[in-house]
Amino acid sequence: MSAATPSPLSSSVEAVMTALSGQKYVIERGLATAVFLAIRLEKPLLIEGEPGCGKTEIAKALATATNAELIRLQCYEGLDASASLYEWDYPRQLLEIRLHERDRTTAEVETEIYSERFLLKRPLLRALQGEGPARPVLLIDELDRADEEFEGLLLEVLSEFQVTVPEIGTIRATRIPLVILTSNRTRELGDAIKRRCLYAYIGYPTAEKEVEILRRRLPDLPEQFAREIARFVQRLRGQEDLAKRPGVAETLDWASALLALGEGTLRSIPVAETLGLLLKDARDLETYRKERLDVLLTAP
Amino acid sequence: MNEPLRFPAGQRVLERIQGFLDRLREAGVSIGLAAGVDLGRALAAVPPLDREAFREACRVTLAKSPTDLETIDRVFDAYWSALGSPPVPPPSGESPLPRGSEQRSPGRTVPPRARPPRDELVRDTSEGRYSPRAPAVGHPLEPLPAVELRRLRAGARRFRRSVATLPGRHWKRSATGPIDLRRTARRGLRTGGEWVELTRRERAPRRADLVVLWDVSGSMREHTSRLFALVHALHRVIRRSRVFAFGHNIEEVSALFQGQPYLRALPEVDARLAGAGGGTQIAYCVGEFRRYWGAILRPTTTVVIVSDGWDLGDPMDLARELERLQREARRVVWVNPYAADRGFVPATAALKAALPFLDLLTSPGNFPQAEGARRAGLAPLAAA
Repeated sequence: MSAATPSPLSSSVEAVMTALSGQKYVIERGLATAVFLAIRLEKPLLIEGEPGCGKTEIAKALATATNAELIRLQCYEGLDASASLYEWDYPRQLLEIRLHERDRTTAEVETEIYSERFLLKRPLLRALQGEGPARPVLLIDELDRADEEFEGLLLEVLSEFQVTVPEIGTIRATRIPLVILTSNRTRELGDAIKRRCLYAYIGYPTAEKEVEILRRRLPDLPEQFAREIARFVQRLRGQEDLAKRPGVAETLDWASALLALGEGTLRSIPVAETLGLLLKDARDLETYRKERLDVLLTAP
Repeated sequence: MNEPLRFPAGQRVLERIQGFLDRLREAGVSIGLAAGVDLGRALAAVPPLDREAFREACRVTLAKSPTDLETIDRVFDAYWSALGSPPVPPPSGESPLPRGSEQRSPGRTVPPRARPPRDELVRDTSEGRYSPRAPAVGHPLEPLPAVELRRLRAGARRFRRSVATLPGRHWKRSATGPIDLRRTARRGLRTGGEWVELTRRERAPRRADLVVLWDVSGSMREHTSRLFALVHALHRVIRRSRVFAFGHNIEEVSALFQGQPYLRALPEVDARLAGAGGGTQIAYCVGEFRRYWGAILRPTTTVVIVSDGWDLGDPMDLARELERLQREARRVVWVNPYAADRGFVPATAALKAALPFLDLLTSPGNFPQAEGARRAGLAPLAAA
């Protein structure tokens, strides 16, 4: 394993904050410390939290800030080694066998077809063999959606940064990637995977932070309007009976929509018309659009 | 507040940190050797005498859940502010279960919030609602005979097969899945070795995704041993299952079942339910479940509510909550300990309100067969 080029973010927590701020990512010191330590200790960082609050975004911002390749593995039910790690290129192997069945021995052909040339590299393997000026950023997104068996598969990758391919041997990382795992906590992840990771949690932002995010992401949004939007969303999140609470992503979408409609302040009709960008549950939408919108808009 | 950390004269830093880790372990944070080493490495990277930097390093390296983060903050303040003094006890909160449960559970205990005044909710029992003369608290658990346990486990396995929604190890033919090379090659023999037609396959659903909401209120007391065995059997055979106990509040108790054989889990749960009892607020608890753990519900999830339906709350609230639950989960099954009784009718206000939103109403004894009956198109007990 060759020594990695020191990341510009590995110098201090402040460097992380500055770099991510440059990518319009508003980061608190706690999360910045987690990122800094993940870089410095070369350990994966597990980020849990509410949906739409910036877990995936931080990986993108880090990749851009360090000029690194972002390799994303989106998890889902049934994700396995062939989709995440590697797979043999069977059609090419068969073709190779046909091509050389007369001029080579079986042993020669076998050695040939089980070489790296016939390996289809999936995200995990690509991250270990990443090429480029900086350590690649490997984003393993929504790990809680994958099966428990997949966590077992990740253990070797995340602790040793190596992959064992039975036909070839062990492939070690040329450079240790910066690994970000995210989870929405739809299920509890296994202890083994947690032990291998540093941990951070991203909850809903405070009103002040949400205003700052809006201002950074939507520079055209007047500050007063941003405050109104943040206050409204905070009030909405505080409602006990919501089926799905809006995250920051929803706030940004909503603010963009209001801007696109030429709004400069929260008014009943445009808010009602665009409320679907905040509330993604039909019953929530119906209840708030018909009955509670005015209360929320006029609350102090 | 970012004051420097203080160390008593003559005491080594490592000893103090070790003491801190011990306090955290006592408070229920599971800290392994690797996490301790990570903390040591982190302290070499951040200014160790900067209180907030030290706190953040502890949070990042030692926590593995939001509950851990809260515990670390609490113990950190107590330990590093008042040198040597014991940690501040956890803030008081209502729980259906005795104190200390928060420390053992990997999940969250729902913080208390305002509920409707009890007086408004107490109704005449003739209406089939909650009686103010609720049975005494506590749920003494007795081990069931081996025959009964085997029957429940066999039933749980059958239930798993009938509600399986997640792919297992076995494959089945499919129109859209990945190519089945072996079958394709074999089929190719019919056409002289050429692969004219590709055969595809996909994983067959063999695993279930289960959430059990278990009523541990006073009225369930006499059924608790049997229902515990049922819940344990379900958790044992369905790996992706989570168990929540509820009464006037709801709390996850999956950790008590996790990997524990029946006889070992029994005293643990028995001790945990020692203080449980009193009335039930099913709608409130289902609402809290959706609010705090709603993200675990998927279109593949089967929700099993184990309750007798004696409820303090408003039936309309329950209907509303169950309607949402039914929309978010694959199916909702209600296990009522009285459902197999001769002449049983779902007469309680809560059950009446719940019926339209249930896929199945059954009893613990009928549990094994009932789902099969439903799948076969037979009328479930709900029709009674």
